[in-house]
Amino acid sequence: MFKYQFRWDIVSGDNLDFLMSGLQMTLIVSAITLVLAMIAGLVIALLDMSRFPPARWVGVTFGEIIRNTPILVQLLWVYYVLPIVFGVRIESLTALIVGLSLYQGAFISEVYRSGIQSVPRGHSEAAQVLGLSPLQNFMRIVLPQAIRMTLPPLASNFVQLIKFSSLGAVISVSEITRRGMELSSTTFRPLEIFTFIAVVYFVICWPLAMGIRVWEAKLRNR
Amino acid sequence: MAATPIIVAENVSKRFGENQVLTRVSLPVMERDVVCVVGPSGSGKTTLLRCLALLEVPSEGRVVMQGLPISTPERSKQVRSAARAVRSDIGMVFQHFNLWPHMSVLENLIEAPVRVKKLPKSEAVAIAEKLLAKVDLLDKRNAYPGRLSGGQQQRVAIARALAMSPKVLLFDEATSALDPELRREVLLVMRQLAQEGMTMLVVTHEMGFARQVGTRTVFMDKGEIVEEAPGAAFFEKPKTERAQRFLQQFEE
Repeated sequence: MFKYQFRWDIVSGDNLDFLMSGLQMTLIVSAITLVLAMIAGLVIALLDMSRFPPARWVGVTFGEIIRNTPILVQLLWVYYVLPIVFGVRIESLTALIVGLSLYQGAFISEVYRSGIQSVPRGHSEAAQVLGLSPLQNFMRIVLPQAIRMTLPPLASNFVQLIKFSSLGAVISVSEITRRGMELSSTTFRPLEIFTFIAVVYFVICWPLAMGIRVWEAKLRNR
Repeated sequence: MAATPIIVAENVSKRFGENQVLTRVSLPVMERDVVCVVGPSGSGKTTLLRCLALLEVPSEGRVVMQGLPISTPERSKQVRSAARAVRSDIGMVFQHFNLWPHMSVLENLIEAPVRVKKLPKSEAVAIAEKLLAKVDLLDKRNAYPGRLSGGQQQRVAIARALAMSPKVLLFDEATSALDPELRREVLLVMRQLAQEGMTMLVVTHEMGFARQVGTRTVFMDKGEIVEEAPGAAFFEKPKTERAQRFLQQFEE
């Protein structure tokens, strides 16, 4: 094939520590973003389902714009454009977390909405007739059923987030992909480094994705 | 017999867009009445029941409970607070049971008494167990609705409605979603309730039940009450041609 001297020892020692600190950043960003995205998603979903047309209009427009533009462009936009608009410099890490949270939140809002709409209307009518207040009805009857439906897709979103956090590299957030770029520019060993990084992502994401599949099957059979 | 009706539909009309579903329907339900509402599908029976259950707001007319209006097209503050006050006096049993699948049978029964009536849990459980024994399902107290047959689910749903000790119980085609062999067990429970003096409004296709158990039969067609007769009289001597034609279908 081609003559190449593999030097896997590049990813060891200090270099490995360097990459692993990047992995730590990747996981921290993903976890924080998941929490924020779940909140953003709830806000967007509530706006979408609001009884007030202006609120609905805001929620739908925002959701459609976010869902139909690339995440990379959004990140660049948040990082470069928001500072111009508001006149403040945004930390690259903040920009990544904000950008990713909004992006994923827009998708999560759809997950919530379909979860809530999957609960048959009769269930809340029964609660209504028995005298439960609208809040009790939502908290006790609709939400527990909706959550069951939304947990697996939420977990899939987490897998997505871990992968999308690699885009932080383009706005110089020192997560694992960025660290890999830096390391390969000093060692000239992109093959070993990016292969290693791909394996790291796979080793984290694949078991998660498999676990979710098993979980979904279990929920279905109940 | 009490002079004031428990619940009354007064000139209730209901439109969904262009579609006129009910036209000036008036129906008082007296204490211990078992009113059976029969008629072809699409005649507005279910909509009338849903208006009385406060699940639909009438386009015209009103629903009055023990002298107080509880549902009017305007839904004024006064009416809404009157409705809240009597909400749990009106029980309803649905065609598709509508048990909450994430709660056990017992949890289904105590949810409203604990959350709405603020009964202590132990008291609510005691009432629930008594009602489950009554519908012969005490052994299923910890089962989840998904594990029960349709007939069992409907009996649980009846017990759940009874747990709020309603003054009137509305049945919306309670046996229509059931296989014939499962209908009997539900009808037996309904018959027992009627014998105990429960005030009931029963939308049904079970002519046998209407004939034998009903104190009054109301025949509806095209959103109107066409004919009304006490108990079995409707079946023996239907006065209108529409009712005669309707009853003929059941004779074969």
